[in-house]
Amino acid sequence: MSTSEHGLVFENRKSYLNSVYPLVKLAWVFVVAIGLFIYRSPISGAVMFLTILLVAMIAGKIPFQQILGSGKIIFGLGLLLMFFHFFVDPGNVVFKLGPLHITDNGLLQGPIFFFRLSVVVLASFILIWTTDTRDLMVSLTKAGVPYRGAFAVFLAMRFLPLIQKEVDAVKAAHSIRGKPTNSKFGHRFKLWRRYIFTILINGLRKAETTATSLECRAFGCFPTRTYVKDVHYKPLDLILLLVTILISGGLIVAERVL
Amino acid sequence: MVIESSEPFIKIKNVFYTHWNQETPTLKDLSLEIQPNTINVLVGPGGSGKSTLCSLFNGEIPHLLGGKLEGTVFVGGQNTNDLAVKNISQLVGHMLQDPESMFATLYVEDEIAFGPENLLIDAQEIKTSVNSLLELIQLQPQRNNLVWNLSGGQIQKLGLAVILAMHPKMVVLDEPTANLDPSATRSVHELILELRNQGMTILLVTRELDDFILSAADQLLVLDEGKIIANGNVQQVLKEFGSEMLTRLGIWLPETVEIGIALRDRFKVNLDRIPITVQETLHVLNQENLLRINLKLEQERSANRTLLPLSNPLISARNLEFTYNNGFKALNDVSFDIFPGEMLAIVGRNGAGKSTLAKLMVGLLKPQIGNLSLFDKPAAKWKVESLSEKIALVFQNPEHQFLTDTAFDEIAYSLLSRGVDDPNEVRKQVEDWMTRLDLLDFQKIHPFALSAGKKRRLGVATMLVCNPVVLLVDEPTYGQDKEMTQNLMALMESIRKLGVTVVMITHDMRLVQEYASRVLVMADGKILYEGEPSNLFCSEELLESANLRPTLLQELLKQYEDEGGCVCCSISTTDDFLNALEYSLASEDQYVN
Repeated sequence: MSTSEHGLVFENRKSYLNSVYPLVKLAWVFVVAIGLFIYRSPISGAVMFLTILLVAMIAGKIPFQQILGSGKIIFGLGLLLMFFHFFVDPGNVVFKLGPLHITDNGLLQGPIFFFRLSVVVLASFILIWTTDTRDLMVSLTKAGVPYRGAFAVFLAMRFLPLIQKEVDAVKAAHSIRGKPTNSKFGHRFKLWRRYIFTILINGLRKAETTATSLECRAFGCFPTRTYVKDVHYKPLDLILLLVTILISGGLIVAERVL
Repeated sequence: MVIESSEPFIKIKNVFYTHWNQETPTLKDLSLEIQPNTINVLVGPGGSGKSTLCSLFNGEIPHLLGGKLEGTVFVGGQNTNDLAVKNISQLVGHMLQDPESMFATLYVEDEIAFGPENLLIDAQEIKTSVNSLLELIQLQPQRNNLVWNLSGGQIQKLGLAVILAMHPKMVVLDEPTANLDPSATRSVHELILELRNQGMTILLVTRELDDFILSAADQLLVLDEGKIIANGNVQQVLKEFGSEMLTRLGIWLPETVEIGIALRDRFKVNLDRIPITVQETLHVLNQENLLRINLKLEQERSANRTLLPLSNPLISARNLEFTYNNGFKALNDVSFDIFPGEMLAIVGRNGAGKSTLAKLMVGLLKPQIGNLSLFDKPAAKWKVESLSEKIALVFQNPEHQFLTDTAFDEIAYSLLSRGVDDPNEVRKQVEDWMTRLDLLDFQKIHPFALSAGKKRRLGVATMLVCNPVVLLVDEPTYGQDKEMTQNLMALMESIRKLGVTVVMITHDMRLVQEYASRVLVMADGKILYEGEPSNLFCSEELLESANLRPTLLQELLKQYEDEGGCVCCSISTTDDFLNALEYSLASEDQYVN
């Protein structure tokens, strides 16, 4: 089984987003995130959510199934966060559910937080899906980041799908061990604790081996290094950034004018 | 080949090394020399210090791993203490047991270029070097593949290319063929020979000493408890220490060598050299007038093996297909049955679909097309937890299965999850299994802190304690030395005799030959053969299409018959062969007419 069937892996689909200079995409994620923290209305968040979804599917050629598959945990967490705000935010009570009170402010803030979380994570996923992490490292180096630091970002992103693969393997292995307690929650908690332990231990071992291997392959010996493959910025890459700034700016203005 | 003493490339003298977190030294008063342009094979039992020794050559010790090093290590005439790691890496490259963990980039060609890029070598020069290395390891078509999409054999070859890219004069290969199918193993060994022919010095650490690599080796080194107890010319070491390697140290030697040593020790044959290849063995047999014999056994060991049961199958698959989300078709029109009380081996090349089949059988995957019946119920209707009461899977990486903080609790967990909650009963059963698998002294140890072999045995114990109807083991003897392998397989055989069906997924054709009552051969998601192991070994075409090779014993028996001998009984081990030889020699009609 290859890892590429897992969600968070770069794939060159020969899309517009694949060709955009990595630093521009990184800047784009920041622009999207900043906009979301300025919006006051959930409608702006929803518009941006749809925009990012369309960007992923059209400009990135990423299948909707993949977006849903990788994002379901985050979207689920976003929904939990939304419901949490419904009940805990102070404001005028508009609905009562036993001892729980839903407030008008909660109904407004809940979706805002849902979209903040979902859109920022989705934009980050798009960056991962469409960017060869090696190219991101090279472009960061070109922007003046010391290559050892840039490589740390690269390694972190490189290990993501491997960690996901490890989680799947551990989950599968644990599921056939059965459970000795009737407490479903207690068992699940124990399993999660063990997933984290196993992945942490194996992660540390891998990190140690990789670090040794890097040293043995002369990584960091010189202040610079050769790059066999180079990446180049093109003015066309800026379209993504400019269109997003226009939409985000438009939404901020519209919130204040309308 | 007798090594003439020129200036050695490696000279280690009186080395003691203690790991930073240990009190006693792992390497003790160790001295050795390695000549340039030679293949050197290092063997030794598990835990003898082989991997630690490997770390001496490229400066990982003392520069990266810390610890206390006494004595001197000279590489290319220079003391490793006085050299920086980056300089040693251009003298000695070290390929780790798991080369995948060495990789730092995403793509095959990027991985090879990574080291030279760090050395500020010109980009054009690196491109030329990458091309020639890809050609050498025969991975040109995969140059743009993601490194984690390579097969096991390809990963090993890429690992080799990664260190060769640094243009070292010597390479240290730590178990490069562990878990590879027999053809991939041979292909890695051929690559090693090619490198030696190109002027490289090689140190190969391996458990899989086959006739090919042993014939090609210039020096054999035997490590035991941190000391080199034998080294020198292969013949010299085999003659002087061969018996000890087989018995006390439990080292796997080629079956031909086992036979050769037995001919000398048991049949009192005067040998100038221990035969390594099949041809050499036949030559010795011919010289001793042992070639044209009717080989018979007084009592056939194989007759004790289970006959194929005629009862209803426990597991039955018809036209099964399975495709992963990325479009990879792992199973294609697969049909088979598994019967009660048999020992079935599933063999085939890396990526043939064996693990997918195992996951379908334990319910971790659901069939997409075709029918899979598990214990008279469609697989789709089983829940993983309920199914685990009937069929147990021992994963290739046992750590993935561990859930508790001590080896004792790990086995107890299995009992508790099956509803056995009487503390006395739990203790009794856990201790019983720990004793049977030689784990009793480690009951308080964290499962992750056990050695690879003990982890494997603990993984098996956690499954066997549940009394499954079917035990499915992925690479049962991976990481085990010879003695432990025999113990583990004897245990499997004993539970099989009690009625448990044992299914083993393996690359070890010696296990198949010795223990399996039936074998399922897979390639490219299809079943190529289903039947008795002896018939499998007769078909060269079938073996080739599944990336398998006959065992040396099977090759020997085939050629024995070609030379006029008669194999009139079922022979599945070297002991069978030697017993047959002894029994037949004592009988009246010993010679073929």
